[in-house]
Amino acid sequence: MGHSDGEHQLEGDDLSADDASWSDGVWSEDDDEGSGSGSGSGSGSGSDADSDEAAAEESDSSEDEVAPRNTVGDVPLEWYKEEEHIGYDIDGRKIKKRDREGRIEAYLKNADDAKNWRKIYDEYNDEEVQITKEEAKIISRLLKGKTPHGNVDPYPDYVDWFEYEDKGHPLSSAPEPKRRFVPSKWEQKKVVKLVRAIRNGWIKFDKPKEENNLYLLWGDETDTAENKRHGLSYIPAPKPNLPGHEESYNPSVEFIPTQEEIDSYQLMYEEDRPKFIPKRFECLRSVPAYEKALREGFDRCLDLYLCPRTRKKRINIDPESLKPKLPSKKDLRPYPKTCYLEFKGHMGPVTSISVEITGQWLASGSCDGTIRVWEVETGRCAKVWNVGGDVRRIAWNPLPERPILAAIVGHDLLLINAEVGSEEVQMRAKELLKIDEMAPQDNTDGKKPAVRWMKHEKLDGITLIHHKAVSNVEWHFKGDYFTTVVPSGDTRAVLLHQLTKKHSHHPFRKLPGLPVAATFHPTQKMFFVATKKFVQVYDLQKAQLVKKLESGFREISSISIHPGGDNVIVGSKDGKLCWFDTDLSTRPYKALKIHSKDITNVTFHRKYPLFASSSEDCTAYVCHGMVYSDLNQNPLIVPLEILRGHSSSDGRGVLDCKFHPKQPWLFTAGADSVIRLYCD
Amino acid sequence: MPKHFRPAGKKKEGNAAKYITRTKAVNYLQVSLAIFRKLCILKGVFPRQPKKKVEGNHKTYYHMKDIAFLAHDPLIEKFRQIKVHRKKVKKAIAKKNRDLADRLLNRPPTYKLDRLVLERYPTFVDALRDLDDCLTMVHLFAALPAVDGERIEVKRIHNCRRLSHEWQAYISRTHALRKTFISVKGIYYQAEVQGQKITWLTPHALQQVLTDDVDFNVMLTFLEFYETLLGFVNFKLYHSINVNYPPILDPRLEALAAVLYSVPELYALCRYMSTGSGRAIGNSDSGGVNEKESGAIKENEDGNNKASAKTDESELRLAQLQHQLPSNEPGALMHLVEESTAVDTDDDETKECKSLFKNLKFYLSREVPRESLLFIIPAFGGTVSWEGEGAPFNEIDEDITHQIVDRPTQSHVFLSREYVQPQWVFDCVNARIILPTDGYLVGRVPPPHLSPFVDNDAEGYIPEYAETIKRLQAAARNEVLPLPGDEDLDNSLVAAMMDRTESNEAAEKKRKLEMLEKQYHDELKMEIDGVTFSNLSNKKPDKSQDTMDKDDAKSDHEDEKKQAEKDNDDISTALMSRRKRGLYKAMEIGRERKQDKVELLKKRKKNADSSASAKRR
Repeated sequence: MGHSDGEHQLEGDDLSADDASWSDGVWSEDDDEGSGSGSGSGSGSGSDADSDEAAAEESDSSEDEVAPRNTVGDVPLEWYKEEEHIGYDIDGRKIKKRDREGRIEAYLKNADDAKNWRKIYDEYNDEEVQITKEEAKIISRLLKGKTPHGNVDPYPDYVDWFEYEDKGHPLSSAPEPKRRFVPSKWEQKKVVKLVRAIRNGWIKFDKPKEENNLYLLWGDETDTAENKRHGLSYIPAPKPNLPGHEESYNPSVEFIPTQEEIDSYQLMYEEDRPKFIPKRFECLRSVPAYEKALREGFDRCLDLYLCPRTRKKRINIDPESLKPKLPSKKDLRPYPKTCYLEFKGHMGPVTSISVEITGQWLASGSCDGTIRVWEVETGRCAKVWNVGGDVRRIAWNPLPERPILAAIVGHDLLLINAEVGSEEVQMRAKELLKIDEMAPQDNTDGKKPAVRWMKHEKLDGITLIHHKAVSNVEWHFKGDYFTTVVPSGDTRAVLLHQLTKKHSHHPFRKLPGLPVAATFHPTQKMFFVATKKFVQVYDLQKAQLVKKLESGFREISSISIHPGGDNVIVGSKDGKLCWFDTDLSTRPYKALKIHSKDITNVTFHRKYPLFASSSEDCTAYVCHGMVYSDLNQNPLIVPLEILRGHSSSDGRGVLDCKFHPKQPWLFTAGADSVIRLYCD
Repeated sequence: MPKHFRPAGKKKEGNAAKYITRTKAVNYLQVSLAIFRKLCILKGVFPRQPKKKVEGNHKTYYHMKDIAFLAHDPLIEKFRQIKVHRKKVKKAIAKKNRDLADRLLNRPPTYKLDRLVLERYPTFVDALRDLDDCLTMVHLFAALPAVDGERIEVKRIHNCRRLSHEWQAYISRTHALRKTFISVKGIYYQAEVQGQKITWLTPHALQQVLTDDVDFNVMLTFLEFYETLLGFVNFKLYHSINVNYPPILDPRLEALAAVLYSVPELYALCRYMSTGSGRAIGNSDSGGVNEKESGAIKENEDGNNKASAKTDESELRLAQLQHQLPSNEPGALMHLVEESTAVDTDDDETKECKSLFKNLKFYLSREVPRESLLFIIPAFGGTVSWEGEGAPFNEIDEDITHQIVDRPTQSHVFLSREYVQPQWVFDCVNARIILPTDGYLVGRVPPPHLSPFVDNDAEGYIPEYAETIKRLQAAARNEVLPLPGDEDLDNSLVAAMMDRTESNEAAEKKRKLEMLEKQYHDELKMEIDGVTFSNLSNKKPDKSQDTMDKDDAKSDHEDEKKQAEKDNDDISTALMSRRKRGLYKAMEIGRERKQDKVELLKKRKKNADSSASAKRR
């Protein structure tokens, strides 16, 4: 930008230079004009300022217009002293020096021309310039020390713009008082005072720096009240860990990790990685300075002032002391401990077993489609029925004079004569299982009936055809009624059947959730229904809900009632077992986490204070569960034994467990198609 | 209504009122964060863990009472003054008012921390209890380079050095040192003062590098407090043994100390202390003392103390005189004093420590860590000298029993003394017996150096050398040596001990043999029983299969046993509440982890042994 500006400037100069060059010939005219104006000004000395100004402007502009012909700029002209030219014109041509006039010629000229004194030689452009009259006048005025223009008034009249005539405070024109020029007496007195104070040492400059004076800070320590720390309770910072063997400069070899171990640290998480890797030095002189010394000191400082502190109770106890004090197992005898007999014969997993009330016979149902009856004492298989379908559940009628088996085969319930006992008994059972060929259809509203009683031709029994698959069957202790559970959401989920009348009904309203199991109270007219999360207790006589037990489990799998009737155990599919004392609360009295997999069945012994649970993890637990008649004393529960022996097949373990009705024996049915009898 | 709704005008309650976050605390106190930090460090205020974190989980909470405690401290006003002063100086310099700036710089506001020390530690025992960090820090700074222009003032480093030496001199003098341990990080010491165990770490005496990853402001603030604390603690300790506290040192040694990384300062201190304590008993030797030279020694200006100061000087002079006599043993005075002061108040351990190196004379070569050994050996009753200026006796002294060297070979050997590596001293101290020097001779790789802070039995793994030491200790304890006054006492002691150990080992071997024999017999019997048992149970094993069967049976039996144990465990845990079961499981996990560690150590040991034996073959 600046450069281009300069160029423009140059152009302007050129133009004016051109003007000057061709106006060279009109010197005289210019002269005349100047003289004219000069005469004008001279004649009218008292003319108005306007015309004067215009003239001044004109002269200024004309002065500006005259541009130098030479373009060399402001350089010393002696550089061109030796040359023939004095510089260059705008076109770059050399400007030749004119011939020097001789002295004589100059003299002659001076003599000839009267105006010659007004001519001035311009060295720069190598030409002679004639000064106008006016210019000459200005020069002469300047020489005299006057203002260049004649019409400037140097002493105008004073106009007093500030009026103070009528104002209250006139500007004082009083002279400065003397005291302003004389040193103060009072100051001097003060100084004298200070000097004296300094001399006498009353004022001290540069106090001696305070040394950290040490003294006996903790003096007499007998006064305990003084020696107490004020404020909040002080929590001392934990001390840094003391170094172990591995931090030694020369640890024994076993503390030094191998290279592989050191490499394996890289795979660990940053937090888990050991902070310190032991290293061994042969001698003390080769131990280097510890490079992290400052860093660790700093970290400790940070810990001290930044870490929140709390008091944490750290228990330092023997883990054994956490275990509850239990009575000795020896005092709780008898209970099943060892496997005494194995009942082999089934070809598939034994899903369910049931012991006859006398304890002589054992019935079992299996996935291979057979029901077997075994003699308990010998392990002999007394009977086999091929029912043609998975047997899910089997239950023996609790009356000894009614050797009838209820079995869930496929979707339906099958009642058959077990064909054990005396002839008379068998005859009576046969009698009971007789049914009219086609039971009258009392349901005429087109809805499928909940249950149909049908005669089973082949096995000479009765089939109860349910509207949906049956999952559970349980007899009443008097042997006439029995209940079946159909896991459905409607009112027909739990059914009650009467054997003698061949009649079924569904007395319950809709249940909260799917029912899993149902069972009768062992002595009273009560009924328990286990849904997936709750156990509902109904009074059958009043036909109303009495209690609702909350297990807190996700899914209940089985339920068993204590022979006394007030205590219930419930097994769940997450391997937990809980004991309800219905008199105490609707929440579990005790929950035992004993199995790692689903509990398949739980059962109470009828006589002994025992209960057992079987689970898919191939174990069965036997526990002592004593219920006292004293209401103030809570039941005593002691786990006694873990029974093992079944092997896992297809991910399933023990599928059922039942106690012998009279002896402290436990039968377990396994998925490995074996039934085991555990005895004391 | 929202959960935490509080009606207007009702005061905050509970954790919201009790705790305050750090930002709020800083605003509350109207100070900058840096000053708040400094206040917290000096006053010992720390964040606390509220039960419920009202303002959020990631914030630091201070107790409101702590903050009020800070707000009422005069220190906060002092810090404000300092801030203002700094501004004034800055302004003066900016205005090119050099005069004013100099004047201001000459008179900065100062503060003292003695009040805070007393406030934080109302009793002396409290202070001792918290002294670990203080000592470690002071010793760390004492090892830093004292160079001008670094981030730490040279004066403070020198102060740290002085304080640490004073502390060490006290410990050494009272024989309070209990345990020492050379680790990679430095040397750990544990002393017992007034029943408190105090552990500190001294870095190796090598040049430390000032790293950039630490904030020196924080460390220096801590150091400021620690310096004051240790000063007062030292004062109290010196006072308790009747020694004037800012100790007056032998000027010659002190001058040397200034030149030579302050090594002889400790020695000077030790000597000063022993003479100083002599004064308390009333040493009558001060008669023949040259008073003229007292000008060389710092004078105690206090008029009241003038007399005592004079005796101080005189004793110092005496010590110096004795030291200058070449034949005189420098420790003589020390021992004289000590024997006369053998107070009955010393507990058994102190007595034991005091007499560990008794009658032993050590000489340190120039390459061993002199400062540490000069501290330890006198602390256990030994006499020590070193190679270099100001040493009390030199290498050719006939009485030297042990020379401590740390070099591959020793060219010139005096037969009258033993050349051992420094580790020997440390191991002796930890074991509290004079160990045999065989393993520690020059040029050998010394046996492993074990930490005295580990309870081997609790840890479950006892290193081999720990057992060896135990055996030696037992041997030493059995023979209560009637100290005969002969000169090569230690040699005979070691020899006797070696004999003892050997016999011990032999006895053990014999016992082992007997055990083996017995076991063999038992096994035979068992075998017979086993056979009869198997016969009874209707099996017909032939002789050749018998052993195999037995093995199988054994393993089965073991499995069963394990299973039974597990069952028992399961049964007992079944009845526990969930909380207790969790606790029990956690404990089990901890136990197992420990077990794993021990197993790993055993495995490594086995590998090392096997590889070593293979090499030997």
